[in-house]
Amino acid sequence: MTREVAVVGCGAFVPGFEGLAGWVRGEPSLDHVTPKAEIVPKRQRRRASSLSKAVADAYADALGESKFDAASVASVFGSAIGEASTMVGLLDQMWSDAAMLSPMRFATSVHNAASGMLSIATDNRGITTAMGADYDTPAMALLEGIGLVLARGESVIVCCGDEAPPEDLVADGVGWSLMTAAIALCPSSDAPASCPRLSELMIAPGEPSSSPAGVPETQLEEMGRNPSIGLLDLVVAVREGTRGVRALDRGAGRGYSVRLQGVAE
Amino acid sequence: MPMTPYPITGFAMCNSIGANRDEVRQSLFEGRSGLGPSPIDLPFEAMVGAVRGELSPLPSSLTMWSTRATRIAAHLLGEIAPEMERLRERWRPDRIAVLLGTSTGGADATENAYKHYLSEGSLPEEYDLFRQHTFGAILHVVRELAGAKGPAWMVSTACTSSAKPLATAGRLISSGMIDAAIVGGIDTLCAMTLHGFRSLDASSKTACRPFAADRDGLNIGEGGAFLLIERSGDPIAMLEGVGESSDAYHISAPHPEGLGARLAMQRALEDAGCSPASVDHVNAHGTGTRLNDVSECAAIEAIFGRDVPVVSTKGYTGHMLGAAGATEAAMAILSIVAGWIPASLRADPVDEKIFVNVNQKRVDGEVRRVVSNSFAFGGNNISVVIGAPR
Repeated sequence: MTREVAVVGCGAFVPGFEGLAGWVRGEPSLDHVTPKAEIVPKRQRRRASSLSKAVADAYADALGESKFDAASVASVFGSAIGEASTMVGLLDQMWSDAAMLSPMRFATSVHNAASGMLSIATDNRGITTAMGADYDTPAMALLEGIGLVLARGESVIVCCGDEAPPEDLVADGVGWSLMTAAIALCPSSDAPASCPRLSELMIAPGEPSSSPAGVPETQLEEMGRNPSIGLLDLVVAVREGTRGVRALDRGAGRGYSVRLQGVAE
Repeated sequence: MPMTPYPITGFAMCNSIGANRDEVRQSLFEGRSGLGPSPIDLPFEAMVGAVRGELSPLPSSLTMWSTRATRIAAHLLGEIAPEMERLRERWRPDRIAVLLGTSTGGADATENAYKHYLSEGSLPEEYDLFRQHTFGAILHVVRELAGAKGPAWMVSTACTSSAKPLATAGRLISSGMIDAAIVGGIDTLCAMTLHGFRSLDASSKTACRPFAADRDGLNIGEGGAFLLIERSGDPIAMLEGVGESSDAYHISAPHPEGLGARLAMQRALEDAGCSPASVDHVNAHGTGTRLNDVSECAAIEAIFGRDVPVVSTKGYTGHMLGAAGATEAAMAILSIVAGWIPASLRADPVDEKIFVNVNQKRVDGEVRRVVSNSFAFGGNNISVVIGAPR
């Protein structure tokens, strides 16, 4: 990839921090321990998983910053394990309780649960997709989003996130904690020159993101194992005004990176 | 602006009516269904479309990634080995993408592991979340066996999962990011989906009857299909256009008037730069549920009128969920190559609320262009236009 796209908005949900800005500042907030998902009507919100709600918060922040039309913007939702916890809940219901599955819980066990929920919440009849690629999820979700911008001239929000894996399915010490991040992209020609550009998504070494000061080491370690961490790293770099080739994973993926630059650099 | 059509240079299929494209073609030609009792132990009756026979084991270097889904993937790659060889000669490995779709991924492996955990208190030794459950496992096996080193991801949008990669492939080729892609998808039977569709009162105990007046639900199927799409090459058929939309209506029910379905078909025709009159046949999503068939047929009627032959192939294979879109796109290719439109099984008598031409007997004759529909939970819709080589 050599053509560029513009970054016009970012968002994130990290438990205990107020959005991306709170995370970058390293300022804990007890009001933001759980996602609020205020973009989603209450009735839907009650049925949503914590992952879907955290995705909604990151998505809403990126949407708000971008000023894209909520009813038509395209969206890409990336997650390595998606609604695996919902699935385990269903397996428990099926085998431990020998009960009929909850139809609503089954319907929201799909990988595109957040994608569907947000398209309904925003009355959006445009393109939306959901995908995963293990630790390459951030890079591949970005590529899907960039493809939509370059080939179709779409405005798009790319959002990645993973909640902690079901503890029964992984060994101790290899899990991670919930986080989501989102980035709003559009054709370079549609964005002000002040907005940074992304180009050259490739397998190549990239600079890692800095971690905010004041965040407990255990939380940083757990978040660092999250398969979606690469997108949070990228939006932190965008917010801090950092430029250069940015890593999209922390060593567990195939080593994708993307160039983050100003106009005509 | 219409998309550039891209050649489809190879395809492979594996499902309950055949272990390869020739067997599938013959079953469709003869109107032979693959539905039968569920091989999975269930506390209720269910008909399913199970892949028959043993799947070959993976090469020893990939044993740790062995699941039913990865073995189906390897089986599909085996069928297109000659075409893959030609593809690798034409394009650099890092310019060949793997763009697949699945709804269940490795869920069957996790089900078995979790059952073991509940009874024994520990997971089976061979189980690993990232080698059996997550999408990366299937991607890893396909990339290794195919020698494709380009971008690789798995779309998972429930029942549109394996049709969406066709759209992605077109976009990535047209924006210059890749030259070729292995697209398609795989899904396997698992207890949770069978229980789940029963909880939604959407599954039938008998062989499903898409479009029929007394239809009472779907049957779940399994299998997969792969298609090779290239920037240029000798086409078997052409990927002419794709249209995507959202219902923005309900998480598991379709829009009652088929609004999202209509948008997807309209956008696909615009993308292909063709008129509704130029379409010879619609391979409908046609699940056999009360809600889907009426709303989809209303959408088809609104665009194509009442004459275009409409077929659901789910009466043959069952609903292959995440593998349905690619499978039905491949069936559209079969229809074009073989020169006939398959029969839609068990539709008689057609629901009186359905006014389109449900094609109940095979029609022989030239087929130049097919629209294939896939719709999913979340109100996710896609229509694909497949055409004859130009």
